[in-house]
Amino acid sequence: MSDAPVRSGSSSSSRWALIYLLLTPAVILPLWVALYDREDPKLAGFPFYFWFQFALILIAVALTLPAYFLAQGADRRDRVRHGLPPVPDGTGTDRKAGDER
Amino acid sequence: MIDHVNGVAFGVFIFLFLLVTVLGFAAARWRRATSLDSLDEWGLGGRGFGTFIAWFLIGGDIYTAYTFIAVPATLYAGSAVGFFAVPYTIVVYPLIFLFLPRLWSVSHRHGYVTPADFVQGRYDSRGLALVIALTGILATMPYIALQLVGMQVVLEVMGIGTDSSNWFIKDLPLFLAFIVLAAYTYSSGLRAPALIAFVKDTLIYIVILVAVFYIPSQIGGWDHIFSTVTQGFADFNTENADAIAAGDAAPKAIMPPEPLQWAYASLALGSALALFMYPHSVTGVLSTRSRSVIRRNAALLPAYSFLLGLLALLGFVAIAAGVKVDNPQQSVPQLFEEQFSPWFAGVAFAAIVIGALVPAAIMSIAAANLWTRNVYKAFINRDATPKQEATQSKLTSLLVKFGALVFVLALSKDFAINLQLLGGVWILQTLPAIVIGLYTRWMHRWALFAGWAVGMAYGTWLAYGVKSPVQDHFGGPLVNFPGTETKVYIALIAVIANLIVAVALTFVFRAMKVNEGVDQTRPQDFHADAGDPGVEEELSPEAPAHA
Repeated sequence: MSDAPVRSGSSSSSRWALIYLLLTPAVILPLWVALYDREDPKLAGFPFYFWFQFALILIAVALTLPAYFLAQGADRRDRVRHGLPPVPDGTGTDRKAGDER
Repeated sequence: MIDHVNGVAFGVFIFLFLLVTVLGFAAARWRRATSLDSLDEWGLGGRGFGTFIAWFLIGGDIYTAYTFIAVPATLYAGSAVGFFAVPYTIVVYPLIFLFLPRLWSVSHRHGYVTPADFVQGRYDSRGLALVIALTGILATMPYIALQLVGMQVVLEVMGIGTDSSNWFIKDLPLFLAFIVLAAYTYSSGLRAPALIAFVKDTLIYIVILVAVFYIPSQIGGWDHIFSTVTQGFADFNTENADAIAAGDAAPKAIMPPEPLQWAYASLALGSALALFMYPHSVTGVLSTRSRSVIRRNAALLPAYSFLLGLLALLGFVAIAAGVKVDNPQQSVPQLFEEQFSPWFAGVAFAAIVIGALVPAAIMSIAAANLWTRNVYKAFINRDATPKQEATQSKLTSLLVKFGALVFVLALSKDFAINLQLLGGVWILQTLPAIVIGLYTRWMHRWALFAGWAVGMAYGTWLAYGVKSPVQDHFGGPLVNFPGTETKVYIALIAVIANLIVAVALTFVFRAMKVNEGVDQTRPQDFHADAGDPGVEEELSPEAPAHA
């Protein structure tokens, strides 16, 4: 996840690890077709195959929300690690002043 | 086909069409731009859209009229993998959540307008940026053409259009709609589709929600619908058992049989990866105000996926309601025509046609921006002023739309659909340069170039070899994965080849110390947000931040 080899803020990477952990099921479950490619149990007339995929949309949203709040914090830590103020205030290093590259 | 036009439906349709036309022109004055003479203003709507507007804009951009016609059509036709559009639009959002804020930041720091701008800045290669841009234009053109196909289907069902055999007279209504679209896109830029998207999406949500609750209640409920469809498909398969065995007909099914599970998953994954490589989705994302607007939308946009899933099922509803059409794409418009009272059918038809105008506008703007930034400015007029860029883009957007129109009217519709299939394969070949570039500069620019070339050629060749019961070439998106009997989406196979070549050649070029160019970006650029230097709250047109 990091651009630079230097890792001062380890809590940023642990936050990112948690974000990946949250978002992975939202990618893997829809692609794991064998899991839901069946008729039963039905729900309100809908075969399992259909209602489970609708449920997956809700699950994905439920996982994305906490990931959003974690990412807000992780972004602030990443900014500090790259020499930017935690929240933009117009004083960050300008384009010419480089970090290590 | 109906040979008369219902006056009430037509009146409602015309009223809504005129409403969005007025909105489209009025959009030029929306959000107080002092001038539209730069790409940041004309092509990205001032880069200032918040969560709410972005939700409508990106939603209107991704879930196009053609999607709304084609997805239920595949279910109506009994394609076992047609419902992949739903997992596809689930998988795409975590990817957007992770990748696109980085692209947003670096693009704002350096004033990039297109994905190819980023590739140019990152890899210092006009050649690589050029092929990324041309791939984007090539993949977008048939996509715009398909929006017209979607409009054409609705107009046909409404009975609008004359019986003349002359293609120009016959498609005059389509022609008129498109001239109007071209005119307000030209004058208002991205603000026009952003404003129209409000109307479009409100109408679409109302129509679909009414359709999925009202129509099933009229024809016996979902239980009845699913059992009717299952029985109907089983009868079809029994009656056509010989043709299916001979490969002259495809068996019908409501869900994928086991051998097609990988096909289903790979279509979903490949399409999700391709989606945000399309220039028009990048345009939508870059028009937002801040990084968090993108992330919030990754949690909010799945509402559209829910809608798309419901809409897809209308293909089954049409079967159960006894809709009989030769062209499956007419199934849902025909269902609306038969089940709704005329005024609401008019609303539904307007929703789909307006639904075609929004993405067609954004796509033509995106393609025009690629031309202007990565061909015109990079090769023809290197000192172009922001005003010259905007003028160039405006003219190109007209040309792109006119090209798409000629495409659909003069050439065959199947040709547009084949090209759209190829477009998905092609656009995915730009993924290594763009997405990997967001994280590391390890890849060598010429290795990425070679990988792109291999992926394009291999993917096109694979697609050329696919036969279907009706076509000898370009018959579908699936081929056997090399060395197996498992069907997989061509785009995914091609991009794997692309990546293997790119990685292998990177080792070679690095060992040979081939010049890798100067990277314009710095690590911190990928974390910049609104309020940082170079990332103004709303860019003023007098001082565009082009690096």
